[in-house]
Amino acid sequence: MTFRRLFLLAGTLFILLLGVYSWNQRTQVLDTITTNVGLEAAGGVLSGLRAVQDSVADIWSNYFALVDVRQENLALKERVRDLEARLMAQGESLAELRRLRQLLQMPTDQAWRPVGARVLSGRLGPNGVLDSISINRGYATGGRPGTPLVTNLGLVGRILRSSAHTATALLLTDPSSRIAVLAQESRSSGILTGQGPGRVLEVSFMERGTDVNPGEILITSGLDGKFPKGIPVARVLSVAPSNYSQFLAIQAEPLVDLRHLEEVLMLEPTGVSVPTLPLGPPPVFVGPPAPGRTSPSVAPDGSTGGPRLQPSR
Amino acid sequence: MNTFQECCWWLAFIVISIIAQALVPGLDALVVGVLLLLQERDYKMLGWLLPIFIILQEGMGTRPFGGVLLWYLVVIASFKIGRWLFEVGNFVFIFLLSTCLGGAYFGLAWLLAPLQATPTFDMNAMRDISLVQAIYMPLAWRILSVLRPGDKSDVSE
Repeated sequence: MTFRRLFLLAGTLFILLLGVYSWNQRTQVLDTITTNVGLEAAGGVLSGLRAVQDSVADIWSNYFALVDVRQENLALKERVRDLEARLMAQGESLAELRRLRQLLQMPTDQAWRPVGARVLSGRLGPNGVLDSISINRGYATGGRPGTPLVTNLGLVGRILRSSAHTATALLLTDPSSRIAVLAQESRSSGILTGQGPGRVLEVSFMERGTDVNPGEILITSGLDGKFPKGIPVARVLSVAPSNYSQFLAIQAEPLVDLRHLEEVLMLEPTGVSVPTLPLGPPPVFVGPPAPGRTSPSVAPDGSTGGPRLQPSR
Repeated sequence: MNTFQECCWWLAFIVISIIAQALVPGLDALVVGVLLLLQERDYKMLGWLLPIFIILQEGMGTRPFGGVLLWYLVVIASFKIGRWLFEVGNFVFIFLLSTCLGGAYFGLAWLLAPLQATPTFDMNAMRDISLVQAIYMPLAWRILSVLRPGDKSDVSE
C-alpha cells in the first residue's frame, strides 16, 4: 500500500469518525445503544461477581468464622441485658418524643421514595473519565438519569446514564458536579462544585457578609430542582474572602466516604407534589383602595384599619 | 480450537477483563484481545469482537460515543506500523508497542477532554493510568498468548 493510499484512508477514517461523532452528539443514538447494551452486559457480569463474592463471604462467616463464637455469644448476651436496662430507662423519653412528634405533625416528604441499590464498581474502562460509580439499578428498577443517590450520612451524587438494570452515577466530587447548597445554621446559599477524586469541594457564590464557620454542615437547598431540600452534603473546612471575586472562598469535605461505598439509597421521585408554602388561606392584601371605591371597606374581623383588597383568584 | 471453544474462550476473556476493569479504574483490559487477534491475523473474529469491545467500553464509560472508537483505531494503526519494523512474536515489539500505546492513551484523553466538554483534565491521574495501561498490556499479552489453546501467536508475515 502506497503512502498516498494510506494517507487517503486515514483521512477518510478521520472524517467518518468526526461525522459519526457530531451526528451522535446531536441525536445521542449511539450513546443510548451502547448504554443499553454495554452497561447492561457489564452490570450483569459485575452483579454475578458480587453474588459469588457474597456467597463466599456467607460461607466463610457461617462455617469457618465460628471460632470464639461462644465467648462472643456470652459477651453479646451481657450487652443485650445492659441495653435492655437502658431501653427501659429511656422508654418514657421515647414515648414523650412520639407524643410531641404527633403533636407537631412533622411533615414527611412524600415526593421522594428511597430505594436501595448496591454499588458494583467505581469508574469502568478507558471511557470512564468522570468520577463515577456503577450501581445495580437501572431505569427498569427506579434508577433513571437524574435520580439522587444518598446514604445515611448524606448525599453521594446523581445517576448520569442508565440501562435497564445497571446505572452509572456521577459523584459529587467530580468537577462537572454542581449542587445548590445552603449552610445549615447561617442559611446562606451557594453552589458546591467538585474538584476531582480525593480533593476538597469548593463552594462558590456565597456572599462575603454571611456568617459561615468551619465545621458547619452544608445541605441541599433544592433550588436546582435536582435534589430534594435538606440532604446533608458536606462539612465546611475553611472560609476566607476570595482574592478574585466579591464572594467567599469556601472549602468543604463530603460527609460520605465516597471511596468505600457499598450500598446507596436512590431517591426516586413519586410524582406527589409537596406544597412548599404553609397551608391555610392566603394573607389579606393591604393596599390602596380599588379604582372606583370611595369608602374604606371593613375587614372581615370588623376592624377599620384601612382599605383592603381581596386578592383575585 | 473449534468455534464453540473459541467462543467460550473469548467469553471468559471478556468476563475477566470486565472484572479487571472494575478493580483498576480507567484500565482497558479488552485491548489485549484486539492485539492478540491482530497477532494471529484472525480478522474474521476481529470483525465480530471489535464492535462488541467498543459497545462494552462505550457503554461502561461516562464520555459521549467516539473516544473508544478512536482509541482502537490508533491501536490497530500502531500495530500495523510496528509490524513493518519488527517481528510480531518478539517481546521487544510487544514492549515498544505497549509503551507507544500508553502514550497514545494519554494523548487521546488529553485531546478529547476539551472536545467532550470535560471540565478539568487531571494530568497526574491520567499519567498514572496511562502508565498502568502500558505495563498491563505486555504482561497480559504474554499470559494470554501462553494460555491460549492451539497457540497461534507465532504467525508471521
